[in-house]
Amino acid sequence: MSVYITSSGHFLPGPPISNDEIEPLLGLVHGKPSRLKRRILQSNGIQTRHYAIDAKHNTTISNAGMAAKAAEHCLSSSFLGKRQIKMLSAATSQGDIVLPGFGSMLQAELGLSDIELHSSHGICSSSLMALKAAFTNLKAGEQPNALVVASELTSRLFKASRYEAAGSELDFNAEFLRWMLSDGAGALLLETQPRGKCFRIDWIRSFSHADAYPVCMSVGYPGNNQHTSWQDYASYAEAEADGALLIRQDVRLLENIVKLGVDGYLRLISEGRVQPDKIDHVLCHYSSHYFKGKIFDMLQRAGVGIAGHKWYSNLYSRGNTGCASIFIMLDEFRRSQPHQVGDTILCMVPESGRFNNAYMQLTVVEP
Amino acid sequence: MTEQLLSPQGQQCLQALMRVWFDFERQLGRVPLLQRLERGQFSKADYCQLLLNWRQQVIEGSRWISRCASSFDRDYSDVRSVIIGHAREEHRDYEMLERDYVAAGGNLADIQTAPRNIGTEALHGFLMYRASQPNPVDLVGAMWIIEGLGQKMADNWAVQIDQATGGDGSYTRFMHYHGANDDNHMQKLYQLLNRLCQSPAQLSDIVRTARVTARLYCLQLEETDHDYC
Repeated sequence: MSVYITSSGHFLPGPPISNDEIEPLLGLVHGKPSRLKRRILQSNGIQTRHYAIDAKHNTTISNAGMAAKAAEHCLSSSFLGKRQIKMLSAATSQGDIVLPGFGSMLQAELGLSDIELHSSHGICSSSLMALKAAFTNLKAGEQPNALVVASELTSRLFKASRYEAAGSELDFNAEFLRWMLSDGAGALLLETQPRGKCFRIDWIRSFSHADAYPVCMSVGYPGNNQHTSWQDYASYAEAEADGALLIRQDVRLLENIVKLGVDGYLRLISEGRVQPDKIDHVLCHYSSHYFKGKIFDMLQRAGVGIAGHKWYSNLYSRGNTGCASIFIMLDEFRRSQPHQVGDTILCMVPESGRFNNAYMQLTVVEP
Repeated sequence: MTEQLLSPQGQQCLQALMRVWFDFERQLGRVPLLQRLERGQFSKADYCQLLLNWRQQVIEGSRWISRCASSFDRDYSDVRSVIIGHAREEHRDYEMLERDYVAAGGNLADIQTAPRNIGTEALHGFLMYRASQPNPVDLVGAMWIIEGLGQKMADNWAVQIDQATGGDGSYTRFMHYHGANDDNHMQKLYQLLNRLCQSPAQLSDIVRTARVTARLYCLQLEETDHDYC
């Protein structure tokens, strides 16, 4: 049985925020402007993004709220009403509350009844894991359709007050993601029958390498290679004061993401799943300018490079919204980029959390 | 720099070798000594222990590569030239390594008299055996791993070791040095790949030798933590 993405949608909160507007909104840490901001923004190339908090640090819409808006946007251009949805598969790195699962909160927000539910937990790749759970459920004939939603509200972690609560000096690894991540949600509708021009899911695969690498992106450790969990402290206040609730990126390890991204791509080629010369579009969650240099020179020489004009990304204008990015990208691609029946689309989501790389291939079809 | 264009067979081989390399890096990520280095829990004594174990392989390295050159017959005289050049460039590298050992606080007599660890025995035994076969085309796979390691040493380990031990680069010269002439070395490797990988059988031999070399190299590094005395 084939599975199709028959509709998509997204939601980005508030107006686009330019690079100069970020710091006034997130706040000056200890009243001082960041010394790293310019360098990090230059390197990630992001021009505008969206936040679900305002300059007074009120949350303007919850994570589940954003997810519901994206899902409604998706359903509004579909052939199905809410009552007909049979499965909800949801992904986020951090829900509005710790428990229950994000999927439950989203189901209530959306008002979906009697559905089968799945929540996927992780970072950037959790959306493709949620998608795979729905994809295989449909493929197995268990359900005729599924709504898959990924949403992130990381800006709550970036308020100046959070850093101030964690002490005096900010280290690079704790500050890095403040200039990288932002908020948003994306949604896809899967069905076992095609509707108009839509995407057939050829396959979804991921390769995780947590056993071979240290943690690269995390919330819950106090940094400096200390492996005390935030839950091990006598009180949450102590955990926060020790910096255990800050979101960190071990920047030194980031280069492994590119290598592992290429490794997975080469595996898929040798398995015969990817045929590089048949790929028409590449949607990659990672900023494309990271994918240059020696390894890419090698891919060209090895005859499996993909021409620059085939890469599409909206990261630079919509921001890096973690697991939501790939859905927001696919939705905007579907609505704005030319694509023909028979075109092959390769989606790649390399996750730096502890190195999980997910891939998906779609084919444009029209019944 | 002239671009080395690869034949379709060479391209397939390069794809496979890249995967072998990435897998090797993951294997390295599981070696306890390197995990400690990654966490910054790495002392000068650890570094000296690493060099002590490494030296034996660096010395043997110059031998297998010379043997490899001499095992290529007249039909491969062009290959022989390239490999002889490479062997000559590197066959006294171990002296730089010994100087680093002493600069880091080690005793020269210790490193000069240390026996090979069992990983080094296995690696050296395998490479000398392969290098003694007529026209050992597959050894380009071993060169791929060892060249890659040189770059990894310079780009990652040398810097991490200096950071963890408060060094200023004065005792990590051997590791830093292997990052020099990067592009030039890669060009030579591509050239060899093109020349030596001309059939599916050669491709699979090259990839297999790369895998064995990688595994035995890891064994050698794992054995660094073992004290045989």
